[in-house]
Amino acid sequence: MKIECRPAFSDEEKEILQEIMNIAFGNATADLAELIDIYVELNAPSIQVLGIGDLPDYLIRRMKLHTETSIVAQNFWGDFKGSSILVLPNRSGRSLIAILDDDEMNDFSMKPVAGQEKEVLMEVGNILIGACVGKVCELLNTFVTYTPPQVILRNSDEYSAFIESFDPSQTAIIMETVFRFQKIDINGLLLLITNQEAIEWLQKALHHFMEPYE
Amino acid sequence: MIKKILIVDDSPVARRMLKSSIPQNRGYEIYEAVDGYDGISKYQEIKPDMIFMDLTMPNLDGYNAIAEIKKTAPEAVIVVMTADIQQKSISRVIELGAFLVLKKPPRTKIVEDVLIKVEDSLKSRSGGKQ
Amino acid sequence: MASESPASFYGTLRMIFAQIFDMVNVGIVILDKELKVYKWNRWMEIHSKISAQEIIGASVFDFFPNLKNPRFLRNVKSVLTFGNFAFFSQKLHKYIFPFKANNSLGTDFKHMRQSCTMGPLRDENNRIQYVYIMVQDVTDVAAYEQKLIEMSIKDGLTGVYNRGFLENRLAEDFERHKRYMRPLSIIMQDIDFFKRINDTYSHPCGDYVLKNFASLIVSTIRKVDIFARYGGEEFCCVLPETGIESAKKLAEHLRKKIENEIFRFNETEIKITISQGVAELKKETVSGEELLRRADDALYEAKETGRNKVVGK
Repeated sequence: MKIECRPAFSDEEKEILQEIMNIAFGNATADLAELIDIYVELNAPSIQVLGIGDLPDYLIRRMKLHTETSIVAQNFWGDFKGSSILVLPNRSGRSLIAILDDDEMNDFSMKPVAGQEKEVLMEVGNILIGACVGKVCELLNTFVTYTPPQVILRNSDEYSAFIESFDPSQTAIIMETVFRFQKIDINGLLLLITNQEAIEWLQKALHHFMEPYE
Repeated sequence: MIKKILIVDDSPVARRMLKSSIPQNRGYEIYEAVDGYDGISKYQEIKPDMIFMDLTMPNLDGYNAIAEIKKTAPEAVIVVMTADIQQKSISRVIELGAFLVLKKPPRTKIVEDVLIKVEDSLKSRSGGKQ
Repeated sequence: MASESPASFYGTLRMIFAQIFDMVNVGIVILDKELKVYKWNRWMEIHSKISAQEIIGASVFDFFPNLKNPRFLRNVKSVLTFGNFAFFSQKLHKYIFPFKANNSLGTDFKHMRQSCTMGPLRDENNRIQYVYIMVQDVTDVAAYEQKLIEMSIKDGLTGVYNRGFLENRLAEDFERHKRYMRPLSIIMQDIDFFKRINDTYSHPCGDYVLKNFASLIVSTIRKVDIFARYGGEEFCCVLPETGIESAKKLAEHLRKKIENEIFRFNETEIKITISQGVAELKKETVSGEELLRRADDALYEAKETGRNKVVGK
């Protein structure tokens, strides 16, 4: 009986979620700039509902945004549960060092370049993902915990393991936004993917969010 | 006195949220526009007493819409509604002539306060001129 | 127990948690929004030699000025602002708190390697009030890792680099030198009639000669040069920023040095000579392997034409 139980996500729910993401990402942009000195522009997010079976193809398609990409992935869990993926052009780690503006980065010259880029990707990824997810959570009156960020290289075992880690029988909501780091002019893609368990909770939370406005 | 209010926002949910945050027992006439262009033409057509304006919108964004409206109607009262409340963004819209900036999501109490402020400003303006 | 009042139940619970807080084999630090220390557990006391009494209420920077860096501050802010979690892995950061390391496995880390997590603590209204930092001592893991890395790139007998490392390194050096048009040379070396040493004096003696030969070369070449055991009694030097003439000079110097060296194994005195082939990176060279092959050809020629000599190609 429960085989095809994709909870329908109505257009209205989609629109509410869209506005929540707009607000969350806008708040995140402001806080990142004013508190953490990271200047980033987040475009209006788009919401898509698809079967997780279609997700690998979708991801592969979206990651082609750049010919060579670096991926930072991080899971979050709580009432709101899922994965976040940050897609950046390859080798952007080096340019990202500029936005971090650390003295500490000087002793980076001692470390191999690959390690250094990975470090920067993880740091920026962790903060950016946390800011966006955190703001969505704040609006939905919940909070989540995170697994450590992971840098995944295309054509690696980690990459295939990551793609295969999604259960194809489930439904995913993909919240996607294109962003740009101002100082260094790098575009990237941020995806939040919820799993089925979180969808039911999300629907309730969305209606709860709208209650004061009914 | 505020009679006509124009809400410019591409998101139907955002318009709904704001509409329901505006007190309903004062007989305001509320109009809606879905992007910057729509906002400009509705402004000219309706001549509202005040505008709530979103910033990030497709086709024509809030910054450009404010500039355009202010060009022909410097007296227009525009309250900006945005989630991005960076000082930089705030100064930019204030420079363009916005009356106030409100952080999204709207809260009834805050929207009411803003309406009072706008009333006061309209009163003192008409009192001062005439 | 069943009749315990809620108040005493929570009292007991608090007491238990307080004990666990001091018992766990993890450092736990809690900072308030001003980054003053709010809690400091026993583990932190022991490893920092700073008592909770001393540090609580003080700014964490008063005791650990090293934390006043952009990365730490940025992460604390993101925890307080967004409820982020921040991760400081030993691989990338080595440590947050500079504590003395308990070295094992013969490593000599100056500081304890730490894996740290930072996250938010909230009040009953879900508002973030504190930041926690958990500190795990991962010095042993780091030491194992270092050993493993060493084992994978070094030759077990002589302690110099192995062939795998040499080939990777040569490929990298080849790319770099080719791109910037900088000179690069290699020397292939082979100990003459090495089999005779094994046959005449035993394998332990042969091993002894290999080991001492290798350390003699290492002590003679520059730090930037890479010296590796290519296989059996064949060795290779990679010489960055070195043209063929200097490389040949070095090879000649090494040849003489080895020729004049007496290896003493127990009571036996052994003398050896080496044949060497030298090759230089040229415009038309397409790979590190080609360079190796050319040096090997030169080495072959040195062997064919009398041994104990240097041939450059």
